[in-house]
Amino acid sequence: MNQFFQQFANGLVLGSTYALIALGYTMVYGIIQLINFAHGEIFMMGAFGGLATHAWIVPDGAPAALALLMVLVGAILTSVATAVLMERLAYRPLRNAPRLAPLITAIGVSIVLQEGIRLFYPGAKTARPFPRLISGENLHLGEITIARVSIVQVLTAVVLTVGLTLFIRRTRTGKAMRATAEDPQTAQLMGINVDRIIVITFVLGAALAAVAGVLQGMRFGQIDFRMGFLMGIKAFTAAVLGGIGNVAGAVLGGFMLGLVEVLATEYLPLGSAWKDVWAFVVLIGILVFRPSGLLGERVAARA
Amino acid sequence: MRRTNRTFRLIAGLAVAVLVLGACGGNDDGDTGGTTDDAKILKIGVIAPLTGDLSALGLGIRNGVDLAIQQANEGNKIEGYKLELAAEDDTAKPDVGAQVATKLSSDDEVVAVVGTLNSSVAESVQPVLDGEGIAMVSPANTAIGLTMGADQKNPQRPHPNYFRVATTDAVQGPFAADFASKDLKATEVAIVHDNKTYGKGLTEAFAERFKANGGEVVLTETVNPGDKDFGAVVSRIRRAKPDLIYYGGEYPEASLLSSQIDAAGIDAPLMGGDGIYDDTFFETGGDGTVGDFATSVGAPLTELESAADFIEAYDAAGFDDPPSAYGGYAYDAANVIIKGLEEALGGGEGDSAADIATIRTDLIEAIQGVEIDGVTGPVAFDELGDTTTKVLTVYKVTAPRACAEEASGEEEDEDATTTTAAAGEEEDEDATTTTAASDAEAGDKPCWKPEKTGEFSGSDDEAAEGESDSSTTTAKDKSAGGAAE
Amino acid sequence: MRNWRAALDRRTARLPWRRATGPSWLQIAAVVVVVALVLAVTVVGLAIEESSSFVAFLATVFVAVTVIQLSGIGRWVAETFKNHSRIAAVAGVAAAFAFPFTQGGSGYWVRVFASVGVFAVAALGLNVVVGLAGLLDLGYVAFFGVGAYTGALLGGAALSPVRLQLPFLAVVLIGAAVAAGVGVIIGAPTLRLRGDYLAIVTLGFGEIFRITVNNWTGLTRGPNGVAGIPDLAAGPFDFGERHELFGVSLAGFTNYYFLEIVLVLVAILVFTRMDESRVGRAWVAIREDETAAEAMGINTTRLKLLAFAIGAAMAGVAGTVNAHVTSQVSPDSYTFIESILLVAAVVLGGMGTVPGALLGSTLLFVIPEKLRAFQQSRLLLFGIALILIMRFRPQGLIPSRRRTRELRQDDPAEGDAMGSPPSAPVTPTASSG
Repeated sequence: MNQFFQQFANGLVLGSTYALIALGYTMVYGIIQLINFAHGEIFMMGAFGGLATHAWIVPDGAPAALALLMVLVGAILTSVATAVLMERLAYRPLRNAPRLAPLITAIGVSIVLQEGIRLFYPGAKTARPFPRLISGENLHLGEITIARVSIVQVLTAVVLTVGLTLFIRRTRTGKAMRATAEDPQTAQLMGINVDRIIVITFVLGAALAAVAGVLQGMRFGQIDFRMGFLMGIKAFTAAVLGGIGNVAGAVLGGFMLGLVEVLATEYLPLGSAWKDVWAFVVLIGILVFRPSGLLGERVAARA
Repeated sequence: MRRTNRTFRLIAGLAVAVLVLGACGGNDDGDTGGTTDDAKILKIGVIAPLTGDLSALGLGIRNGVDLAIQQANEGNKIEGYKLELAAEDDTAKPDVGAQVATKLSSDDEVVAVVGTLNSSVAESVQPVLDGEGIAMVSPANTAIGLTMGADQKNPQRPHPNYFRVATTDAVQGPFAADFASKDLKATEVAIVHDNKTYGKGLTEAFAERFKANGGEVVLTETVNPGDKDFGAVVSRIRRAKPDLIYYGGEYPEASLLSSQIDAAGIDAPLMGGDGIYDDTFFETGGDGTVGDFATSVGAPLTELESAADFIEAYDAAGFDDPPSAYGGYAYDAANVIIKGLEEALGGGEGDSAADIATIRTDLIEAIQGVEIDGVTGPVAFDELGDTTTKVLTVYKVTAPRACAEEASGEEEDEDATTTTAAAGEEEDEDATTTTAASDAEAGDKPCWKPEKTGEFSGSDDEAAEGESDSSTTTAKDKSAGGAAE
Repeated sequence: MRNWRAALDRRTARLPWRRATGPSWLQIAAVVVVVALVLAVTVVGLAIEESSSFVAFLATVFVAVTVIQLSGIGRWVAETFKNHSRIAAVAGVAAAFAFPFTQGGSGYWVRVFASVGVFAVAALGLNVVVGLAGLLDLGYVAFFGVGAYTGALLGGAALSPVRLQLPFLAVVLIGAAVAAGVGVIIGAPTLRLRGDYLAIVTLGFGEIFRITVNNWTGLTRGPNGVAGIPDLAAGPFDFGERHELFGVSLAGFTNYYFLEIVLVLVAILVFTRMDESRVGRAWVAIREDETAAEAMGINTTRLKLLAFAIGAAMAGVAGTVNAHVTSQVSPDSYTFIESILLVAAVVLGGMGTVPGALLGSTLLFVIPEKLRAFQQSRLLLFGIALILIMRFRPQGLIPSRRRTRELRQDDPAEGDAMGSPPSAPVTPTASSG
């Protein structure tokens, strides 16, 4: 039983990374129906932005808390800048284009960001070490061991999700976001600056991804230029599992995907080799019975 | 109308700019290539991934060959000829590999190819180069079928143009298994691999031998290249309580796994093959990797004169990227080709009638008989094209302080400098990390320290040495090979 | 962009060559000359290895095409091509067959174009699924893989666990059938899904295929793949050997290239027949509005399954042939990124059209090859190229005429907002609509 709880905890930690990234996917999709395949790369850019901040801006001997704060700010700025540029230069001109055009653009952006880091960030052809700013003894709950940074990560995911939900529900901007998601044309007529709302959506998603990137870097002590690709696909899966366009759904989907992977590894024969298969089987199973995901409400009429 | 004019001007301007740029570029290239003397040109091709995920390994291979070619030209080793490098990116994909192999074989100056990194790419490149009679020397392929064909018990060389300086899983896996059971006295081992040709084959060969030695494999898991969070697998390892974790795969996943194993409070060390024998393993894995082991072909680099020379020359050549795991092998592979060329062209130097087809055929024959002292030890090939070197060394990741103490001898010192130099400008950053993770002195990093060197002379000798049931071991060894190819 | 084109149209309207006039022998001769010219330019362009010269070459071609376009000759040529589409097609095929003879025995570009051929057949298949039926499939490479593994296992590979070598034609048919079967199996449970939910499920199936192949060691030999697939042979004729034809020694590979041309032609035939049939129109109806299509009495379930099956079968055929072309199959050839590249081929060229899929496949192979001169940064440049092409031609390089018309009628405002007029250099616009 202990092993079950240990693995359950592992699943929550893994799922929290998926959740943080899936939020960005789901928000962008909710507003402009774009599968932003480059979002995984935003996560990667955040991690490298944080690393660059630590290497070149954080003074030597700075206390860990200050360093962490600066790294986070650096990461968020990098991710947000990348996302805004990406939206402005690559996606906005295609807003009225056929639906698949931006998808190809997203792949192009993803390649450009990965290769850009690989070629131009010093030494990034292989993984780069990342400072473990949250260190200290693991926490023990009975026989379950969890690293401090992992707990911080899960808590961060929960807090940010609640914050984001409140933002969308309570603020004027949040209201405008919901209106735009519902019907951009009408929203425009109601005096909402749709362009601005779309940029804000990208900014929020990028900031969350940046936090995830820094946490990932601190957890494993290293980052590399391809860290975003697979993570992006998994997070996209999580977003769809929960019902794409739905914030709570993305988080639920993230945690669920993490748990499925981890529990499949533990309990199924040859689990670690087949875990992704099980993850997709669960996804397909759920979609067969709930064609718009766990919490998705309306069926997207667009094909 | 105004708009019309602007567009016209824009197009015209762009066109002119591009033309001018093109012309300038052309001139530049013309200048560099302007040194044409009477020397005829021969090219050595490289087929390796130069972009994407595996580019670090591929660039190491390219640079190793480049270095060998530069040295050959400086020493004027092949009179009357100038060697050139023709490096092509295979993007680690078999069909692209076949394309560039065709490209290289269409070039009448290409005499041999060093490559590939991936065994699957080699499988599609082999027949193309064989069709044109071009020698291929791989620095990194480990799949057994490449030299032995479909049936290992009755090996038949599928392509006479194919050689490799890397050892197969059938040598490295059992060697590591013997070290684990005899030197580390490990009886229970957990096996993790990345489910790719190299990693899976290596662990299968290891497991077979380890069981024959009386050990037990308590757990077999896989990790997915590209995944970072191995929490679930690590928790399973923790419960299995092995004496040793044997990993089949390359350093990016290995360093993640090692540090996560350490972070979970597991004391057992991790051991792997030449795929993890790279400084990046501990640079990114941090403190958690100290005490881990890796096997690699040849005597310790620090004890071989040729190896020290290679490291020095590599640094002096000023490449952008470190040699990585296979740079040394690639250097050896290129030198094998160069030595072969010396012999193939020997005597008939003034014979301008020697056409490319003859040179290529002669070269394959010559390579078969070549013997050189390489970075990885003496290099020669058996009748299947496999390297005859069976000398392997176990290296251990040693804490920075112990590293510094050991580095008293001159050659060791050399090695230490290389380790630092390989990291390049990020020295500071690395240092901070290491300090954050360990209590070592600032600026110091762990190092690979040779732990044991031995000759793995096939299964017979080894079995006769310690094991009572020599015949079974032999049989098992072969079947291990069969499962691993 | 629109304004100056319109102005130009007005200005050049009175010029004698504005309308496709002239005796028909002249028109036919023009078609032949243009096709020959395109072949010549391609051969020259491919032969340039140095990056700067190639850029200069591209600029020259660009300027030349612009000038031709502006002078109105382009329009005349386009009209002529439309009037003599059959002759143009024959000339195009002849040019494709002639291409290897221009390579001086070198097999490099011939091999690249053989890969293009394999890819184009698969892309045409995907075009049925995505372009016609509007079902976004992000795991399409799995069908290609099914075909490839069928070809490897039954085609007599040295390392195949199945000790069996069937004749090539049988293997191709089995490959197509197995792939179609898998297509139906994947299609059936996912028919209720729409839009991007379908995309993620197909992505999942693609990954499931790859992981299964990687782990099912008994049949597929796992990560090692199946190697040693023999060259095709038709009686005593070995595809892998060098052959002499019309006094030119052709690299062994050329035989596969010729085979590919035939396959592409068959695929084009299948695609256009489908496109112009009742079934094709029903697919388009489903693509545009599934609910409305259903209300009009279209059996959407059956037609969607049919789209999946046909698309999969075409990929299966491409896969079986590719197994012989690369002489090995292994799981790392069938990753998600390959599926994405196939979608990119369809979208880059122009969805739902034959020339679009052909051009898209060609570009996806030729661009990276030509970027080899840039060594390390070539993948980066490839990404930039993808972004730029989509930026300036969001409907693809050769957009579907039918589609353009549909969009115009539906929502003229949106049609104008596309940024650039939906016309390719050789596609007539105003006159065709």
